[in-house]
Amino acid sequence: MAVTRRTGILIVLCIAAAAIIIAWRPTVLIYGIQQAGLYAAIAIPMGLVLGIVHIVNLAHGEFMMVAAYATYFACKALGMDPLLAVLPAAAVTAGFGWIVFQLTIKRALKAPELNQLILTFGLGIVMSQGVNLLFTSQTRKISLDYVSASMDIGDLSFGIWSFVFVAVAVVYAYGLKFFLTRTTLGKAALAVGQNPRGAAIVGIDVNRVYGIVFALALALVGGMGALFITKAAIFPMVGAPFTMKSFCLVAVAGIGNIPGILGASVLLGLSESILRAFRETRGWADIVFFVLIIVVILGRSLKWSFPLKGRKA
Amino acid sequence: MTKLRTTDLTVHFMGLVAVNKVSFSMDEGEILGIIGPNGAGKTTFINLVSGIIMPSEGKVEYKGRDITYMAAHERARLGIARTYQLIHPLENLSLIENVMVGSIFARGNSLRAARRKASEVCAELGLQDLDRDTSRLTILEIKKMEIAKALANEPEVLFLDEVMAGLNVDETKDLIATVQLVARERALAVGVVEHVMGVIRELTHRVIVLEAGELIAQGPYEEVSRNPRVVQAYLGGAA
Amino acid sequence: MNRNLARILAALAGAVMVTLPALAGAYPLQVARNIMLYMALAVTWDMLLRSGQISFGIAGLFGLGAYASILAVLRAGMPALLSIPFAALLSGVVALIIGFLILRLRAMYFSIVTLALAEIFRIVIQNLVDFTGGPEGVIMKGRIFGGSDSGIYWLTLCGLFVALGASYWFEKSKIHFALTAIRNNEVSARTSGVDIFRWLLLAFVVTSTIQGFLGGIYVQSYGFATPDSVFSADFTLLPLAMALLGGIHSTVGPILGAVLLGLASEYLKLQIPYGHLVVYGIIIIIVILFMPQGLLGLFRKATRGGKGRAS
Repeated sequence: MAVTRRTGILIVLCIAAAAIIIAWRPTVLIYGIQQAGLYAAIAIPMGLVLGIVHIVNLAHGEFMMVAAYATYFACKALGMDPLLAVLPAAAVTAGFGWIVFQLTIKRALKAPELNQLILTFGLGIVMSQGVNLLFTSQTRKISLDYVSASMDIGDLSFGIWSFVFVAVAVVYAYGLKFFLTRTTLGKAALAVGQNPRGAAIVGIDVNRVYGIVFALALALVGGMGALFITKAAIFPMVGAPFTMKSFCLVAVAGIGNIPGILGASVLLGLSESILRAFRETRGWADIVFFVLIIVVILGRSLKWSFPLKGRKA
Repeated sequence: MTKLRTTDLTVHFMGLVAVNKVSFSMDEGEILGIIGPNGAGKTTFINLVSGIIMPSEGKVEYKGRDITYMAAHERARLGIARTYQLIHPLENLSLIENVMVGSIFARGNSLRAARRKASEVCAELGLQDLDRDTSRLTILEIKKMEIAKALANEPEVLFLDEVMAGLNVDETKDLIATVQLVARERALAVGVVEHVMGVIRELTHRVIVLEAGELIAQGPYEEVSRNPRVVQAYLGGAA
Repeated sequence: MNRNLARILAALAGAVMVTLPALAGAYPLQVARNIMLYMALAVTWDMLLRSGQISFGIAGLFGLGAYASILAVLRAGMPALLSIPFAALLSGVVALIIGFLILRLRAMYFSIVTLALAEIFRIVIQNLVDFTGGPEGVIMKGRIFGGSDSGIYWLTLCGLFVALGASYWFEKSKIHFALTAIRNNEVSARTSGVDIFRWLLLAFVVTSTIQGFLGGIYVQSYGFATPDSVFSADFTLLPLAMALLGGIHSTVGPILGAVLLGLASEYLKLQIPYGHLVVYGIIIIIVILFMPQGLLGLFRKATRGGKGRAS
């Protein structure tokens, strides 16, 4: 598949433009990478669910929001640092996810894709509006000293706390890769993802694997929820944009390609960061990934029809 | 008169050759059997001819006109109809409404004209009580409905993909007679994919044999069935 | 007998709708308008759904129509009443253009792209500050018909009738056969001669045009537009929940769902100011899991002795 000369030139020009901007304002690069880490860490669990359970979880961001709220109230009540809450939040969210899976998603696995999409859409509404109902739409934040830690290199000064997201994203991506290729459970999950019927024939309990994978993905989401609150203020709708962004990244990387999500996140994070760097273009930063998602989906559809469609006989 | 002709028709999916250089033709009034072991490419071949998939190489001609890359719905309008192995009746539509679809879109008939045409075709096939919901039909009626739907296109070439599967002996006899009747009355060129050789023997004038995507023999059934290469193909990799 | 019952009910509903402005005060009229608006949107969403395509982008075309209408009045001096069909036309043309691009997509890819497009419309309008007023939006000096409640009521009723009329047309014409065949199995639809793209484009453009039209009516009834108000997710979410609850792939289903949910949410809004939408989420989940054919499906099952149509 040869890239035509014109698109080649276009790509080179884009990279050159990005390089110039970055050389001029290096913070653009740094914040872009940090943002990319955040996006990737949230998107990777969605990639896992989409790749193996074949469900587009439109409540993905809402699960993270719920985890963040749970962490917030636990920390407020116990005077605990959110960092200590990462593992408990992961465990609790995994349990919550497992229950949600058993009660709802499992029943819709054989239903048409339409029903699954609308079901998870409904789950998302229940979560965001439920939180709205219980805690109102007031924003909440925990202030922590270490978050404002910064670093100086020459004239350059920038916050370093958000690099934790980059670290988490890398750990998630390669940890999952290790899990899927080296462990028995992971291999079973991969087999189920590639061919559920075949996996069932060789004796794998497909629904159990789906449940475990879903819970695992939500554990990762829960951990990110606890980390998210160290940096950002939360409110009921805070998770919603991450659902779309995560889906976008998974689609760009290609379903099943988890490390690819890292690359796609850098692309998205940097483009947004470049647009945010200038006052004139700041307002347009949000449009980047919507355009990206459409371009990617349309581009793919021209080359091949998506394999997910033929999955159900 | 030759209705349909393919020349070196070939398709590969990701390096796998599913149909390989198949050249054949079908004449007016001819019932042609398309046989071969499982996975020989019979359904793929019908998909190519009806425009569901596009070939990698080769040519398809309909009444002398090149239709190799024509869209499926346009071929339907020209006069190529087919049935499917797995029949999905249209939900919430009655028996006759299912049949009407072909007449409405392939022939561009109004709803009223399509209803009249559909009821004629149904009567010819022996289908009754046409306003029934499709969930209440017997297997034989479902199969007949599928054929009626194709005939409502008013085709000149018709492909039947395993319409006899799942029927008992009497039902099979009934359907063979029905197919012969409608083919004769319309001077149709009919292509039949079947696994039951008895059906092929009864129904067809001529057969073509596919193996691993290649056309390995053609001729009257009695002759072809004695062809050593065909026997070998059916015995498969056992040799 | 069933058909007679339906006629009587329709006649009753019509009589109530026509006499309402004479009998009811401002508040009930406002509630009725809201319900009619969402009902119309629910019907248009369902019309496209009959082809198997789920749009999550109702709010996008609705908002586009709203801005087209209000900006035509404010920037070009167009009469308010004329700006509404103009909004419909603009939404239709936009839908025609994007339809060519996106109607090749299926299932979740189509849905996600419609959602993304709605967001793009919102962001673009929010950023064209000089023309659209940006995040603060724009306000008109007065409302249409001098703000007369009954005038605006009739206008909304007209929007509803356009949607219902189009839905009826979809149900009684070839379109019904085309969309049902496409939803059922595209491959077999093609070999029956159905030009899938053409019919999808028709359904998409017609429903988008009506959504733009309703956007125009909405904005003229309130006299202002902000990106957050006219592109609100409610305009996607509520119609979707209403159609699902009532029963999809029909005109009656969305009507039924809109009346029930519209009245329920009006009541809930008074009881719980924050998060009453949670009820919508719960309804969506329950309907999808336990009654995918909606209330209409339950009703049909009960009256016809439960012949199985569950998939």
